[in-house]
Amino acid sequence: MGLEEADLISRCQNGDQAAMKEIFDEYRDKVYRIAYGVVRHREEAMDIVQEVFVKLFRTMGNFKGKSSFYTYVYRTAMNTAIDHVRKLKKSTSLSFEDEAERYLSDGPEKRPDQVAMDKELEEKVKGALAQLPDDQRAAIIFREVEGLSYQEMAKAMGCSMGTVMSRLHYGRKKLQQLLRGYVKEGGKT
Amino acid sequence: MKDSCSSISKLLEKYFDRETTADEGILVQDHLQQCAACQAQLKSMEELRATLRAPVDEAVQKETFAWVWQKIEREIQTREKPSWRESVRAWFGLSFPFRRRVWIPAVAAALLIIAIGSPLLFKETPSKTELSIVEYVQSDTNNVMLFESEREDVAIIWLFERTEGESST
Amino acid sequence: MGKRFHFVIVVFVLLLAPLFVSTALGQVQTRLRIIEASNVGSSIDPALRDVHDQLGSLFNFTSYRLLRDESLSLTPNRPSEINAHQGVSLEITLTKQQKNKAEYQIRILRQGSEILNTKVRLSPGRTVLIGGPKHGQGSIILAISARS
Repeated sequence: MGLEEADLISRCQNGDQAAMKEIFDEYRDKVYRIAYGVVRHREEAMDIVQEVFVKLFRTMGNFKGKSSFYTYVYRTAMNTAIDHVRKLKKSTSLSFEDEAERYLSDGPEKRPDQVAMDKELEEKVKGALAQLPDDQRAAIIFREVEGLSYQEMAKAMGCSMGTVMSRLHYGRKKLQQLLRGYVKEGGKT
Repeated sequence: MKDSCSSISKLLEKYFDRETTADEGILVQDHLQQCAACQAQLKSMEELRATLRAPVDEAVQKETFAWVWQKIEREIQTREKPSWRESVRAWFGLSFPFRRRVWIPAVAAALLIIAIGSPLLFKETPSKTELSIVEYVQSDTNNVMLFESEREDVAIIWLFERTEGESST
Repeated sequence: MGKRFHFVIVVFVLLLAPLFVSTALGQVQTRLRIIEASNVGSSIDPALRDVHDQLGSLFNFTSYRLLRDESLSLTPNRPSEINAHQGVSLEITLTKQQKNKAEYQIRILRQGSEILNTKVRLSPGRTVLIGGPKHGQGSIILAISARS
């Protein structure tokens, strides 16, 4: 952990709101990516972001600096996202039509059929991810969505690099089976 | 190392994740030039990554976080204490796979120890005065022999026929 | 979390149930075996294999035959009379029962007259052997033991 970050954390622990805002600005995208990677829904992902940072700032006093702060953030984000999925019994709260409108308003260049296909794919991806064991799902999100190295993943997940590779291998294998015929080529359908 | 498909396939994921050593990377690249199956596998992994990642990249670009920060600020300003669970979890810094896989076996092991140990712990040890099986014997008609074995789990009471002229003691 | 918690509770109850059951009952079961011991022949009744070593080390008889084997259902302070063999009977009364221990008043009667009066304390694994009354060319041995 750099001195600057250590100073920020120390200020947060003393209740400095400006320091908390800096931490938020630094990590919000990372936390959002983890959250969205798991839940595949914008509003739910934002709820998770809010929950993660509230948790982080409330328990900042417990952070002893044994691990790096970003590992602590990633771990908290993944725990919270997985817990959120567990608690959620129903599917996405927005109707298909509402979701299509959001896509249209945010990106007028997208055709309706493209929006529909994107929506269907996201539902499929969400369902496939939900079928993975938590540890494999976490490995997939950390690597494929956030691009963490094996070493960073091992720290975030509290396991060895060998275990990281194993979880990635089996997670990818399962997802490839479940998403056969649905995967995009180069990010486009 | 054997330059065969089966050995390369083990390195393929590492190569895809840019985690191979320089030598391993060269080995994989050379093999990929000749092996359609491994090329297809690599492509499949790229497609999967794109499927998983692209929507996330798109979503994060569109989000504005200002309103989220306002909500967070409001919540932390109420200065509610974290739940005991959050504090314990944060204190231990448990990662979620470790958390789940430790406490369930630990609780099960503790319960097993209690179940096995309780009878032993609460087993009554007979006091010395209670060690004897026979409290008393009495016979007006026969001679009686009382024998308690060394192990103190068997006692023998033997009745002998009295001969004529003997009387009870 | 709810399902896992319920599972842990169920496991807890199942693991400890035998302990609770045995603690709740605390009953000592009384077993009576009537054995004919003699020096005719050298056979040991297969049903007596578990006590053969004991009998062999304690007596000089060469042959043991099991005449009767029963579990007694005794009501506290109410005598039970059992016909042992040929005019010899056993009157047994459960006088005290505590967790894993029982106390008995035992009378041996021949032709209705008392020839022995004894009080014994038994816990699981302990046996009292009462012998001596003649039977043919051997003797009758009453083996009274307790089990949980």
